[in-house]
Amino acid sequence: MTKSFGSRCEQIAAIVRKDFLIGLRRRATFAAMMMFALTAVASLSLSTGGSFVEPKILSAMLWVVIFFAASAGISGTFDDEAQACTLPTLKLYAAAQAILFGKMAGVLLSLIALTTFILPIFLILFDVAVENFFLLTTTLLAGLVGLSAAGTLTAALTTSATVKGGLFPILLFPVTLPIFLPAIALTEAAFTGAAFEASALVVIAAFDAILILASSILYDYL
Amino acid sequence: MIAFDDVTLSFGRRVLFDNVTLNLRGGRVIGITGANGAGKSTFLKLAGKILQPDSGSVTLPAYKTIAAVSPEMKIYDDLTATENLKFFSRLRGKALTAEKLFELGSRVGLDMKTFGDARAGTFSTGMRQRLKFAVLLSVDADIWLLDEPTANLDDDGREKIFSEVQAAKSGKIILLATNDKAEVEICDEVIRLPL
Repeated sequence: MTKSFGSRCEQIAAIVRKDFLIGLRRRATFAAMMMFALTAVASLSLSTGGSFVEPKILSAMLWVVIFFAASAGISGTFDDEAQACTLPTLKLYAAAQAILFGKMAGVLLSLIALTTFILPIFLILFDVAVENFFLLTTTLLAGLVGLSAAGTLTAALTTSATVKGGLFPILLFPVTLPIFLPAIALTEAAFTGAAFEASALVVIAAFDAILILASSILYDYL
Repeated sequence: MIAFDDVTLSFGRRVLFDNVTLNLRGGRVIGITGANGAGKSTFLKLAGKILQPDSGSVTLPAYKTIAAVSPEMKIYDDLTATENLKFFSRLRGKALTAEKLFELGSRVGLDMKTFGDARAGTFSTGMRQRLKFAVLLSVDADIWLLDEPTANLDDDGREKIFSEVQAAKSGKIILLATNDKAEVEICDEVIRLPL
């Protein structure tokens, strides 16, 4: 059991490292995510023209930008390997669960990088003073974990679809909605410093756990 | 031993395998031949449980590991030869030393000093085939599934692969799908699939 768990962890680490190396060399996926986020934030900022925007709208805008930028990157998680015919090789040499969790961890790291890149730009362009930075960080991290789990499974599901570009966000959105709604409320509270309901964080954490567990169970049937 | 028990597999209306029952024993090279479309590659996938039959079952020995060289299974073009070898060996819990890397390269005729740090995407088809075989050797699996393993290789490459297959067969189950005469000659037993 311990040896098996250890070897799975080693496989996961190897897959994360491999995807990171390939991501750095290709850059296309990271660049697509970053450029989408940058363009969306700049467009939103220009359209509001420096006028006051409600904190609730701002927090919703931040999550919408993260969702669609993430969609641009995550959708190719398995498809790039399928196109290159490396997915059958990976499936032969690694355990299915290790592939899923390796891909999920890689997606989470790329989403953290995306958020780290776009958040300061967002805060500067919309002149947002964060009142509760710890809450903002915790909410973003918890939201990104759920988005990674749901995104990785959806990417695996849509690998063989012919219209994956359109299908991916359509399938991903309803699955991640239970995370986004409390996340938007908590992000607003982090912006304004208002009291927040800790139960919202529990809801996000619970959905994260459900999504990870469901992905783990369902992936074996794909 | 790999046991096929009443295995049936169809693609649409075409029945590729109809109630096939057979045992594939280790210690020898078993060739799988047949015309194009007879199902040689599919047979290997069934034997490796990469593909599930419509009915019947395929039983593999417990705790046995599988490795394959197949045109449908590619290595990572964006990784170097060394990174590819290290990645696949790590997946099987094996750490490769520099000496082992050079040894593997030498066994398949791939000079790791020159090509170790070059990306696989810059390799010729033959060099990629050598690297795929080096990956197979690096993981030291119990079952080898070889689908036209010497395709695109020059004489030197073919000799090296044939010699590795012959040297390894005593402790392994080796299935070799091919129509190549030289590849068929190194097989100890041949199963011809009807079209």
